Amino acid sequence: MRGSPGRYESAAPLWRGFWSLVAILAFATAALAQEDKPVQTPVPAAAPAAAETPAANTPAEYVGSETCQVCHEDIFKAFRTNTHHVLEVEKSRKWDGKACESCHGPGSKHAESGEAQFIRNPAKLIPQQSERVCLQCHANQPTNVGRIQSGHGRSGIACVSCHSIHKPPSESVTKGRVARVNALCASCHQATWAQFQKPYRHRLPENAMSCVDCHNPHGSMRPNSIQTFNANEPGCFRCHGDKRGPFTFDHAPVRLDGCSACHEPHGSANPRMLVRHEERFVCLECHANVGAPGIAASGSMGGVPPAFHDLRTTRFRSCSSCHVKIHGSNINKAFLR
Amino acid sequence: MRLLILLAALLPLAAQEAPKPEQEPAAPQKTGEAKPEEPKAEAPAGAAAAAPVGPASERVFSGSVDVGYRWVGDIGGNSDAYRTVVNLGDGPKVFNFDLSLQNPNGKWYDKVTAFGMGWGGDPNQTLRFDATKQRLYDFHFDYRNIAYYNFLPSFANPAVTPNPFQTERGYDIRRRSIDTELRFRPGTRIVPYLAYNRNWGSGRGVVDFVADLNEYPVSNGLYDNTDQYRAGVNLEFSRWHVTLEQGGTTFKDDQTVSTNDRNPGNRQTTFLGQTLFLSNLLQAYRVRGHGIFERALVTATPFSWLDLNGSLLYSEPQTDTQYTQVNTGNFVNQSTLQFFTSGTEFGAANANRPHTSGTISLEIRPLPRVRILEAWMTDRYHTASSLALTDLTAFSPGGLTTLGGDRLEANYNRQQVQVNIDVTRWLTVRAGHRYVWGDAVVRAPAATDLTFQQGELSQQVGLAGFQMRFGQKVWINGDAELASADRVYFRTSLSDYRKGTVRARYQLLPSLTLTGNFAALTNENPNPAIRFSLESYQTSAGFLWNPAGGKRITVLGDYTYSTFSSDAIYYVPQTLTPETSTYREQAHTATTLVDFSAPGKYGPRLSVGGSLFTSSGSRPTSFYTPLFKLGVPIYEKVQWFSEYRWYGMSETLYSYEGFRAHVFMTGLRLLR
Repeated sequence: MRGSPGRYESAAPLWRGFWSLVAILAFATAALAQEDKPVQTPVPAAAPAAAETPAANTPAEYVGSETCQVCHEDIFKAFRTNTHHVLEVEKSRKWDGKACESCHGPGSKHAESGEAQFIRNPAKLIPQQSERVCLQCHANQPTNVGRIQSGHGRSGIACVSCHSIHKPPSESVTKGRVARVNALCASCHQATWAQFQKPYRHRLPENAMSCVDCHNPHGSMRPNSIQTFNANEPGCFRCHGDKRGPFTFDHAPVRLDGCSACHEPHGSANPRMLVRHEERFVCLECHANVGAPGIAASGSMGGVPPAFHDLRTTRFRSCSSCHVKIHGSNINKAFLR
Repeated sequence: MRLLILLAALLPLAAQEAPKPEQEPAAPQKTGEAKPEEPKAEAPAGAAAAAPVGPASERVFSGSVDVGYRWVGDIGGNSDAYRTVVNLGDGPKVFNFDLSLQNPNGKWYDKVTAFGMGWGGDPNQTLRFDATKQRLYDFHFDYRNIAYYNFLPSFANPAVTPNPFQTERGYDIRRRSIDTELRFRPGTRIVPYLAYNRNWGSGRGVVDFVADLNEYPVSNGLYDNTDQYRAGVNLEFSRWHVTLEQGGTTFKDDQTVSTNDRNPGNRQTTFLGQTLFLSNLLQAYRVRGHGIFERALVTATPFSWLDLNGSLLYSEPQTDTQYTQVNTGNFVNQSTLQFFTSGTEFGAANANRPHTSGTISLEIRPLPRVRILEAWMTDRYHTASSLALTDLTAFSPGGLTTLGGDRLEANYNRQQVQVNIDVTRWLTVRAGHRYVWGDAVVRAPAATDLTFQQGELSQQVGLAGFQMRFGQKVWINGDAELASADRVYFRTSLSDYRKGTVRARYQLLPSLTLTGNFAALTNENPNPAIRFSLESYQTSAGFLWNPAGGKRITVLGDYTYSTFSSDAIYYVPQTLTPETSTYREQAHTATTLVDFSAPGKYGPRLSVGGSLFTSSGSRPTSFYTPLFKLGVPIYEKVQWFSEYRWYGMSETLYSYEGFRAHVFMTGLRLLR
């Protein structure tokens, strides 16, 4: 089975894609200068300086973080426990002593005048410019691989919408504090959070899980930014390993349309978190292609249950009572054992 | 095990020195943050404790621990439903803990944090432990233990007697997971890492043993685990990055179904004058799996106006199954109408799924206000399997071996291009197109003469969106998708769909923020044999009022009204006459929390709120969880707290699934 033709037929175009990628990267690498210096993406330093001040004619200079501390003592203290403080102390990163200005730009004019217009505030920039400030350092990291495939990056949601640059780690969203992550996501995705108030849901309101256990906010190759597991499998199987397979007999919708073909993972009135109020309707809506000609006519896959399924009796209204291995079976093609 | 994990997590904290007396609380941030206001509802008590921040060079131990006792009052209604939905129990608990130790000049670590909740037998236990030493290592450990219980009376035949389980498909299991990752030399250009993940579930349940013309609810023992190992290296440079990772998994699934009691099953009548029953059963599954996976990720910024990303992913899980079944009783072979009293089956199967995926994406910034996003993705796999099943029954004493197998192939591709234009400082618009196509081969339905059937996928999607910003006070973001499909895999797959969302935030006052949210999805498959239509609308509004930064009072609330409707034709199996499957739901959901903090060092803090969900339609349901919390500082570093919640659920059409429960807890919060 391992050497079946389909495997190589399906993989060949992908390898061509891979070598194309290698060629593009080789070209890109060749285009790089030999020295490995940071990319200076043009980012506005601040709002256009007022013409009435003579100092506006000369470029601002770096003044160091201690100058910033004079007025922004509270932020300065909090920042010392933030991950970004590493910029302040590590010389190799070339921002030592001026970490504040690594994001806010040179601050001499702002320090002299105290005017907000003379300093760059990433939170007030348009998302593309704000994002470039962060991506000066963070563009080339694993988290960015899915940014253009899906997720917030495509919709112009800036990094600072979720990430705090100044706050201490205890208030960060990146260290797995579940309640904080969920609250942050819910502040925009209100309707989704409302679904979690239904009785049958994943355990997010209980803070046993967080949104990012299932979704990758930085983007993913899968629809709805679903996380991946084992390189390219749906993230659902990270916890539901017994449903992962491969099974001798796969239930095709599980593989082709994913778990959400039948389940509403955010919350449901159905005790099995199904997309319909009763299980039989979930099954029968798909299993209603009558005969082979009907399959061709409707263009959909699936058949109809045999005639002995008497829906008038309760015995046949709960399909998974008999089709116990509905996610896939290793023994029986009808998923009966 | 639990104790060991907890001790391991807390061990470094025990080694800390006495705290310095001059510790300054973290000052609230005043400016420069665009982060949306975070609702405080449902936040763990431990997380709410502000961590003192000391000078960067000092060792600081901070955090909080909530310990106490929980009482669950008499549960009214269906206690199985309570356990399915809530499952909180009595007893002493460590409700929350959140501890951190900072030691910037330490030899072995800069920072150690540990936090978790639900220790003491709760259904949701978590522990997270992190330790870092700058430029040396970054370690994290995550443990979860979640109880899943579902014994709702979903019996196929409620009249069957005896039915000791009151359900024919239930389970009572614990699912645990461990995630660990160790990164060496974080923040440097070459970062090797090792990771280990283990996920396992064990418990008992009820499942049907299915025989011809009857099925028997029997006890089910469940155990499965997956171990994942991976190692890789990140090469991170200013203009490019590469991640290479190699991993592997092992999988085990041992399920045992057994009974020694005479079981009449669901059939209430005799068949050809004989009663069908089960008297003994042993059904054992022994599934062993293993697999490898590889990841190669690349990003590059060759020019200031160009970002390139790509990935190549491969996995190949395999499983081997040994199956044994021994059953005695009175059974019938439906095909031959022969009765038999004992049956034995042995099965051996294996399955293999090579799975390759790849992505390439790029962002071009040809002009300062223009971004072009291009993304391509492919996902290809097939499952190939074989099975040998030997049936030893009374009328085939030599055994009848059946050989079989299956195949499933799928190729999925997606290409999308999008242009984002910053029209002005306050308006960004975006538009694009997505094309999704693919094909699949699956096993044909049993009723047909075919062995396999083929499905195709072809869908064109138009994309549009905008974002408006007026300073930091007003923010509106909208997205829309309009899709048309020539071919889809299944009758209810996304076909001709329209999807839209609008999210808005308005900071009316410095202390008052209003939010709004609208989401819509309509999906149709107009094929006359299907006539599937789905409409879903959700409208939300919320507010947060926290005058003076929430020093004395914070009020937050949100409300969502949602409607869902779907119709699809299906065929009654006996008559093949068309019927319509109709599902309707209109739901109101609200959550609110009011926080009062009395003035003074020892002023109490009172929180009142909760959530409610009520729906009408095909399955009317109400679920209420009001909440009262009181916290009183009784010493500088000690607070007494108590919490009362009421859980109430009712279903009009399934009244036996309703329940009511009072849950009260009290304890001490120890702060440092």
